[in-house]
Amino acid sequence: MNTHSVVELDNLKVKLGRREILHGITCRLGVSGTGKAIGLLGPNGAGKSTLILTLLGFLRPSGGRARILGMDCRHNMGEARSRIGYMPENDAFVGEMTAVTFLRQMAELSGLPPKAALEKAHEVLFHVGLGESRYRELRTYSYGMKQMAKLAQAIVHGPELVVLDEPTNGLDPAARRRMLKLVTEMKEEQGMNVLVCSHLLRDIEQVCDEAVILKDGAIVHHCNLEEERRSNRSFVELEVTGDDTNLRMALPEIGAEGVSEGGGRWRIVLPAGIEVEAIWGLTDRQNLLVRKLTHRRDTLEEIFLKAMGHLAHTPGESAPSPRSGDISVTN
Amino acid sequence: MAVYKRGYQRYNGPLTGRWTRFMVLPRYAWQRLYEQRLVLLLTMVSFIWPLLCTGFIYLTNHVELLQGLDKDFLAFIQVNGTFFSIFMYVQGGFAVFLAALAGPSLIAPDLANNALPLYFSRPLTRWSYALARLTVIIGMLSVVTWVPGLVLFGLQVGLAGGWWFLANWTLGAAVVVGFLLWLLILSLVAMAASAYVKWRIVAGAVSLAIFFILTGVSAMIDNVFRVTWGHLLDPAWSVNQVWRTLLGVDLPEGPGAGASMLSLAIFIFFLVAIIERKLRPVEVVR
Repeated sequence: MNTHSVVELDNLKVKLGRREILHGITCRLGVSGTGKAIGLLGPNGAGKSTLILTLLGFLRPSGGRARILGMDCRHNMGEARSRIGYMPENDAFVGEMTAVTFLRQMAELSGLPPKAALEKAHEVLFHVGLGESRYRELRTYSYGMKQMAKLAQAIVHGPELVVLDEPTNGLDPAARRRMLKLVTEMKEEQGMNVLVCSHLLRDIEQVCDEAVILKDGAIVHHCNLEEERRSNRSFVELEVTGDDTNLRMALPEIGAEGVSEGGGRWRIVLPAGIEVEAIWGLTDRQNLLVRKLTHRRDTLEEIFLKAMGHLAHTPGESAPSPRSGDISVTN
Repeated sequence: MAVYKRGYQRYNGPLTGRWTRFMVLPRYAWQRLYEQRLVLLLTMVSFIWPLLCTGFIYLTNHVELLQGLDKDFLAFIQVNGTFFSIFMYVQGGFAVFLAALAGPSLIAPDLANNALPLYFSRPLTRWSYALARLTVIIGMLSVVTWVPGLVLFGLQVGLAGGWWFLANWTLGAAVVVGFLLWLLILSLVAMAASAYVKWRIVAGAVSLAIFFILTGVSAMIDNVFRVTWGHLLDPAWSVNQVWRTLLGVDLPEGPGAGASMLSLAIFIFFLVAIIERKLRPVEVVR
């Protein structure tokens, strides 16, 4: 099977009227057929939706080139669209249709034969939790149900790539969890590539393997979230009492490196594969009393804030503060 | 296995062809249209006039039934261009109301519910969407216009014989071409109105009002400036001129068929421009 980048942008420029929204973006995101999720992050007005609409062929680039699943967004969109599912941000449905008829029609439009389209419509409605309401007209659905119906129509034809624009917008916590679970299942169980556009960092962090951060129509950061998680998991802040002069020499025993800040305070970087428990053993052997051990996860929020220019460096480096996800032990 | 036990699996089977996909929208739309009682009722009422015309054709071809009638009257009741002109005029009127009733329900709800991005994110272009919707309206109106017209023509040929067909085959062609021109205009007006006014009922009223307003405006121009070219602003009048020319019937005073066709072409261009501007998956606010 041929593999392509899911999204390939080459100096992509997009204008809306006279205003240039995307200023020459160049990047390659994801690999087709790998079942990975790409997150598109950015504050309001960063150009996320414009990028998605361009990738879908709804907006014409004013310069450069955009390819999706290896196909040009300007010239090969007919073929590309049969392999893409799109869930728009706003309400989008055909009000006078029942959910099952709506999905059947959408599946047939994507090229499924009528019988298969009907089967898939029923299957996918049960999958997203609308099985019992599938014969109700869509206009009678609640907002959360409409969101699920939008997701259902995006995957009814079994696309290679699903583009989700703010999928959890307006959902209550339970519905949000369900939506994210479905997105995770789509990539892990069905092998679909997913492109998620959101301004909610937690959603991206939870389901995505790769993230692109947009700001003012340009990419300011592109990261592999899995690698980021791994690398940031090894950052430890330690505060001990006792004679810690030998600690610097002892740290290499566990493959770690550290810097003393004086007063028993240490900053330690653990290499990949070494867990924080190794520090406990080391301090025990050095007869040190641990007063504080903070194992910080450099979350996507920090990456995002750094990319936005709100932070010069990781907050913990200058002024540590309690956060969710921290492991903090004080003796 | 029951569907709720099956779980979701991606579809990996064969895909249908381009034309099958194109016909998906018309299939679903026709089904929805004929579920509306008013549309069904008006369609049925539209068949009354063709049925009366059928009786008329039968009578004119059975002179034994008309014995005793005045000779001048017998000379008047002929199946000719005038007969088809009257038939088309009445059925064309029904088509206006049917288009105003059914046409806006095809596009206005899609625009009101923001369904266009869902359609256009599939292998369906804006033009194929518009063409599919046009097919729906023209198909529905065909049932009450050129199809019964052609049936009447066929009936006359069957009753009058081959010589009548050889002498009058242009009438059959005129009925089909003339009606298709009218249906194209009606459909585009209904689509443009519903693309502009997203509320279905208002869109229906607008698409009906356009014809009355343009008729009024054209009559006003003619009377105020004492001219006849004002008629060109009235698409119904222009179409009637084209019909009469095609059927070989005397034309009323005013611009000829050529000028009428030109005005209709401009009107169609204007309607297509509105549809092109409005049928977009995203609206760009400049």
